[in-house]
Amino acid sequence: MSAQIKALGIIKSYIGGKNEIIVDAGNTVRETMRALNIPPDVVALVLVNDTQQSKDYRVQDGDVVKLLAVVGGG
Amino acid sequence: MMNGYGGNILRVNLTTGKITKEPTSPELASDFIGGRGFGAYFLFKEVPKGADPLGPENKLIVSSGPLSGLMIPGAGKCDFTCKSPLTGGYASASLGGIFTAEIKYAGLDSIILEGISPKPVYLCIDDDKIELRDASSLWGKGTFATEKELKEKLGEEFQIACVGPGAENGVLYAHINHDYGRQAGRGGVGTVMGAKKVKAIALRGTKPIPVADLDAYRKAGMALFDACKKSELLKPWQNLGTTMVVSWCDEIGALPTRNFSAGSFEGGKTLYGPYMREKIVITDKGCFACPSPCGKYSRMKRYGTNVEGPEYETIGMIGSNLGLAEIEDVAQANLLCDDWGIDTISAGGAIAWAMECYEKGIFARADTDGLELEFGNVEAVFKLIEKIAKREGLGALLAEGTKRAAQKVGKGSEKFAIQVKGMEQSAYATHNATAMLLAYMTADVGAHHNRAWAITYDLQVGRELVNADKVARVIWLQHLRPMFDTLGACRLQWVELNIDLELYPPALEAITGVKRSWQDLHLVSERIWNLTRMYWAREQKDFGRAWDMPSPRFYTEPPKSGVTKGQITKLDDVNKMLDMYYEQRGWTANGLPKPETLERLGLTMLVA
Repeated sequence: MSAQIKALGIIKSYIGGKNEIIVDAGNTVRETMRALNIPPDVVALVLVNDTQQSKDYRVQDGDVVKLLAVVGGG
Repeated sequence: MMNGYGGNILRVNLTTGKITKEPTSPELASDFIGGRGFGAYFLFKEVPKGADPLGPENKLIVSSGPLSGLMIPGAGKCDFTCKSPLTGGYASASLGGIFTAEIKYAGLDSIILEGISPKPVYLCIDDDKIELRDASSLWGKGTFATEKELKEKLGEEFQIACVGPGAENGVLYAHINHDYGRQAGRGGVGTVMGAKKVKAIALRGTKPIPVADLDAYRKAGMALFDACKKSELLKPWQNLGTTMVVSWCDEIGALPTRNFSAGSFEGGKTLYGPYMREKIVITDKGCFACPSPCGKYSRMKRYGTNVEGPEYETIGMIGSNLGLAEIEDVAQANLLCDDWGIDTISAGGAIAWAMECYEKGIFARADTDGLELEFGNVEAVFKLIEKIAKREGLGALLAEGTKRAAQKVGKGSEKFAIQVKGMEQSAYATHNATAMLLAYMTADVGAHHNRAWAITYDLQVGRELVNADKVARVIWLQHLRPMFDTLGACRLQWVELNIDLELYPPALEAITGVKRSWQDLHLVSERIWNLTRMYWAREQKDFGRAWDMPSPRFYTEPPKSGVTKGQITKLDDVNKMLDMYYEQRGWTANGLPKPETLERLGLTMLVA
């Protein structure tokens, strides 16, 4: 059971510059980020299959999870 | 004819009624580029030292920039500069929408309002037909009715910028409204327009804008639009706009809660972006040439009303900061502020201060006109917004801003007037976020976030970290972000869609014929930054380090709840950051530009 993590913008730098990475399903987004050494706080927006979810969302088989940071702000 | 420019500065002497035009100086364009660069120049040069901000010597300088009105993403930004009635120092507010494009089409770069009109007028600019017209029938009306009436009278194609009763009544943070939902918000730019008895500027232009190289301009413009369209961030940004960060700020302790006593709000979930989108948003709304419309047009069923908004700032300052948990109520409060014509950020800051006074027993019900000014009391917020706009009762005190209000009331209330230089801090709680705290301390208009926004950076490198790199980052942002206000275009395509900054210089060169790198542009920004610093030093007695200090809340009162519970910056670190900031900027230990810095920036003659 696996899911796809898509790193947008500066998040790429936390996963060696890659655009995406395949992970095991079943963990929360927060747990998944920690396992990838992405500091959860830096991620401003989590989109699962293009819908905003909280970091406590449990990743399911086949999910596409986009992680986004706000670099510039308002 | 200068490529990329409207070509003329319009001067309107409201005292005598005389209207004149002079060609825009190529030296001015070269040294200050446009937008807030022009504003800073004219302010320093022409508004005499000690001028009363509400008097005839103050000027309101409205400026477009070389990118404005052209096919460049977000080319819809206009700068309003004046001496601030709120702070007594430099005020500059940025207006989106379409107004700036029309300025260029009318063959203008800046419109300078001087003097005071003996009676209410509106300035009507129809290409070269320019006159002051009687506005007595508009005086007293809200901003929406005013704009509607003028558009009906003159034609839909006229762009309107107008003030509401808040400005007419002298609320020190009155704003200027345009396209119904866009504002030049902060520092009292509307107050100055109202003091001059100018109800509105109505503007239509049909002239072309000359560009240096038409083919290169088209190519560079398309490259910018292409980058926006291709951005992975376009869809989420357009969906939620600035409301995207409400949930995140709540999560990281940056959401101002109950007068910045904390950075997380337990009622926050019904303020979040997706909730708002579902509950009240009807459609997206954008500005001139915007490929990523971030404005949200909302319908509040409970009240039977509509508003453009609310944006993150209003959600923070009028929502969580006042203990209001329901987005529909925040939207309604937003509407009231917009129509009465007062800045939502400063209004939120002032009301929050009053609520804390009430909570601490500094105000009793006799002082609040019978209002139960408890955090979370929606009806009290609605009533107080109206009272502020009318300067009635407690509203008269709050209309002065929290710094003056706290000075008048005393009893320790100065300690929780959350402001810097007299401007209420905008919606990021900075109990433990040293770069953002420094940004608020050193912003050129007072505690505003749009110069340097460093929230993510603080989290990336360590919130409590205090080092030279952090300071350098803040300074870099203070040059980069405001350059967009100088160029007359929105920064949010770069900021939010993460498009390549290097796409801008070719566009600017193709338009103006002048090649400038980002290094060149940073130097112009640094020049403007130092000029406005010198302006403060000239206008405020004993201006210096003390004016850059943050609200003591941020080094004495750790939040008792939320994500940043127990965390606070040390005063030692506040001072350390300021020392490094002054050093990196080439300023004295008291925060004044050194002669060699002014010399390097070509400012010595101007500030002599």
